[in-house]
Amino acid sequence: MRRPLVTLALLALPAALDAQGYRLRVDVRGQAVQYRGVTLDSILSADTVAGVGGGPVTPDGIAVQCVTGEPYCSFFRPGPSQRSDPLSTTADFTAWGLGIPGLSVHVLARGGADLGDAAVSWPGTTPALQLLEGYAEYAQPRYLIRLGRQTVAAPIGFTGFDGASATARDARLGLEATGYLGWGLADASALPVTSAALNPLDDFQPVERQLVAGAALGFRSAPFDVRWSYERQVDRRSDYFVSERTRVDAALRPLPGWSVTGSAMFDLAQALWGNVDLRLAWQAPSGRVDASVGASRYRPDFDLWTIWGAFSPTAYRSLDGSLDFAPWRGLSLHVSGQAYRYDPTGANTGLVEVQSSGWRFSWDGTYSGFRRWTLDAGYHAEFGPGAASRGFTAGVGYAPLERLSLSAHAGTLDRPLEFRLDDASVWMLGGTVEYRSAGRWSLSADATRYGESRKRPDAAGFDWNQLRLSGRLSFYFGSEVRAGGIPEAVERMPEAPR
Amino acid sequence: MIGVLLLLLVQAPAQADSGHFDHAKHAKVFPSCVGCHAGAARAGAPLYPDSAACAACHDGTTERRVRYAPPADSLRTNLRFSHIAHQARAPKALCVSCHQEADTAWMAVRLPVVRRCFECHGIRTAHLEAPDTACATCHFPLASASRLTRADVGRFPEPPSHRAPEFAAGAHGRLAQAEAPVAASCATCHTRSFCLECHVDAPERPVIQALADDPRGTAIAVTLRPPASHAGPDFLRAHGAASRLPDASCATCHTRQSCLTCHVATPAVAQALPAAGPGRGTGALVTRHQPVWHTPAFVRHHAPSAETAERTCAGCHTKSDCLECHRPDAAAAAGYHPAGFLARHPAAAYARESSCNTCHNPAQFCVSCHKSAGLVATKTLGSGYHDANRFFLAGHGVAARQSLETCTSCHVERDCLTCHSALGGRRFDPHGPGFDAARLLKKNPEVCTACHGTAIPTQ
Repeated sequence: MRRPLVTLALLALPAALDAQGYRLRVDVRGQAVQYRGVTLDSILSADTVAGVGGGPVTPDGIAVQCVTGEPYCSFFRPGPSQRSDPLSTTADFTAWGLGIPGLSVHVLARGGADLGDAAVSWPGTTPALQLLEGYAEYAQPRYLIRLGRQTVAAPIGFTGFDGASATARDARLGLEATGYLGWGLADASALPVTSAALNPLDDFQPVERQLVAGAALGFRSAPFDVRWSYERQVDRRSDYFVSERTRVDAALRPLPGWSVTGSAMFDLAQALWGNVDLRLAWQAPSGRVDASVGASRYRPDFDLWTIWGAFSPTAYRSLDGSLDFAPWRGLSLHVSGQAYRYDPTGANTGLVEVQSSGWRFSWDGTYSGFRRWTLDAGYHAEFGPGAASRGFTAGVGYAPLERLSLSAHAGTLDRPLEFRLDDASVWMLGGTVEYRSAGRWSLSADATRYGESRKRPDAAGFDWNQLRLSGRLSFYFGSEVRAGGIPEAVERMPEAPR
Repeated sequence: MIGVLLLLLVQAPAQADSGHFDHAKHAKVFPSCVGCHAGAARAGAPLYPDSAACAACHDGTTERRVRYAPPADSLRTNLRFSHIAHQARAPKALCVSCHQEADTAWMAVRLPVVRRCFECHGIRTAHLEAPDTACATCHFPLASASRLTRADVGRFPEPPSHRAPEFAAGAHGRLAQAEAPVAASCATCHTRSFCLECHVDAPERPVIQALADDPRGTAIAVTLRPPASHAGPDFLRAHGAASRLPDASCATCHTRQSCLTCHVATPAVAQALPAAGPGRGTGALVTRHQPVWHTPAFVRHHAPSAETAERTCAGCHTKSDCLECHRPDAAAAAGYHPAGFLARHPAAAYARESSCNTCHNPAQFCVSCHKSAGLVATKTLGSGYHDANRFFLAGHGVAARQSLETCTSCHVERDCLTCHSALGGRRFDPHGPGFDAARLLKKNPEVCTACHGTAIPTQ
């Protein structure tokens, strides 16, 4: 019985594979970074002296951490030069036409390692192989089912999990409903919360992965879109909530060029409003002017398997605006600004003065009116509690060939920090080369030198100069990838007007 | 009639060593055309005289010697013309009827006067405006005019009708189908290869298949501009619906690859179009570019749009595009953040220029890097480090509540529990305005036990 079935399957296979298609993009990226390391040191507490603020420092001026009752204080002093060479390869694979109409397979995986000094581990390079997504999808016009590791848009960014999701839609009514269930991954990571790589300081860590369940309901139409989403994460060991959040997003397009978008997140577990955003945007019919103004509220959001939520982090409210303007062809200008103010913290002591408001401002411009040259310049400044910075950037780009571009960029930065002894000025100078082949690969490389000097007269004022080299090589494979050039008869589609 | 043979001189190559025979200069010498061009009147006779005929006079004594040789190669033409046949059907026609304008001197010959052809054949238009049915009267289809070179084809004049704006858009197709299987006027200058410069749907078009395949057809340069509709401000947003209309003509210029240039996440949308392959044109090359509403500010504020219209995003973006930032590559250089952002990230992170946690796992990304840079609490929270201010520890509450995420990029929970725990230390209450103890107790009492043990207050 089995042999005839196998024979039948083999006979059917060529027909099934005839319509098979696939796409594979492979990105190989690497960096080489050299910078000054630090060395943990200690000093007898009796040998420390009072610093500028009255706190203990070493005789040569490095701030130290002392614990009452302990004889030694610890501090970091400048160490030997260190080298990190993170190298990663990301493969994005999709295959369809697998014999069942609507069935496809998607895999997004990343392998990486730090080839530099063994003593330093570049963030994100462990474990060496990470599966960002890997699922089978069955898609039909009215529904879609996915099984495997996947990410979904959830109340707080993307949620990753190993499980199943299903979406049903009615295109005529503009309705769409989604539900998902699975074992969760850590926030903004392809790793489970139990991974040692997520616990660099050896603190408390969950012992089991959480259960994730979520749902969303959306409505779409020409002038109005809205989506409600809900997600809960549950600690499987205790059956208590890790998080429970809901969010509403909406977009309204009342007139051509005008849009109003908004979102609001509510933390059901703590009965607190989270991030809220309301934005009005206008785009001129010519596409030469784009302006938006917005009001928002930002509040940190912590899972309940940490204690941070119990510390009542304070939200801030802000007003912001941005304007993109192209006064004439080739020139585009951008200016944006934000002002914010924190809610009362209820923790003032008078011993440390902390501001409660800040602002940000930036402008930049690009001129691409020359045939092969592009010029950029920009400035940004921000001032607020904790830190401030301001600096200029400038760049020049040159495209000697249609597919080849070269650029050089430079910048300056003043970065006075608050709450830390770390005033710094930074300059940077670098160059980039990019090449896109007509077919299946592209290459880019960048080399940037950073000069960072800490404006201190003591031993902690060592420079933190760095040379960073980076490169990216991308390959495109696939059954539908065009390998040829441009047919002579057909011009390119016009670029969208700016 | 003999003069009609000059018609055949269209596109004639330079006749080796023959130079140009000045007919007018010899007007008094030759009383008849067929004396030299016997082949125009008698089947089998040569159309051109041989060099001996010239040498009869140009012997170096009577007249200076000349170098002349009859054309070695047959004339390159697409004319469907026979002098003998015309002589039989129009015996009264003279050579000069076609090769000389009226009221000009004897032997003031020229290339055939096309107007005369039209007059005899009853065609009342200019040459290139003749009706489709008329072309084949005088011309072979290009595929049959095998002696024409590619360069010859490239010099074909363009009929005025082809310059009309609507001609390229669709009118040429209707004209081509006006005569089955294909209008002769098209076949006069074009072959299937020419159509394949644009048409990717050639196998589905009988009128194109009716044309012979000949690569010389591509010698005619043609520039096809995208239809005006494609430049409309709303084209990107609306082209999907337009492509599903019954009279959509996308498949004329676009193969499946056009769709897949952008619709990488939804390959199914391309199934209605033909895949590129033999017998089809390469088609329009679509350049992927971002919609106009993707302004620099859009990157920062795209979340509501992406959440509410995820399928619109999926038209061009795969999830990996999202995860490029939301699950950043450890070895990636500048991307979402500008070059040099690392140097200024403390200020941006402190008051959350954007939500770091949306893309970066704090433990994996922030803490591990801060650890290697010495920005880490090595024991417990102590005085001194922050501003070297001995009182910072006592007054850190405001800073901590304002940017607790920044604190957690260097500190772990036990640093804070030293003082903020009901089980020991200084038992400082960390709870601030709006803290809903009862709700938290209901949702996850384990959070409470971290500080309170089993003696969790009920108020």
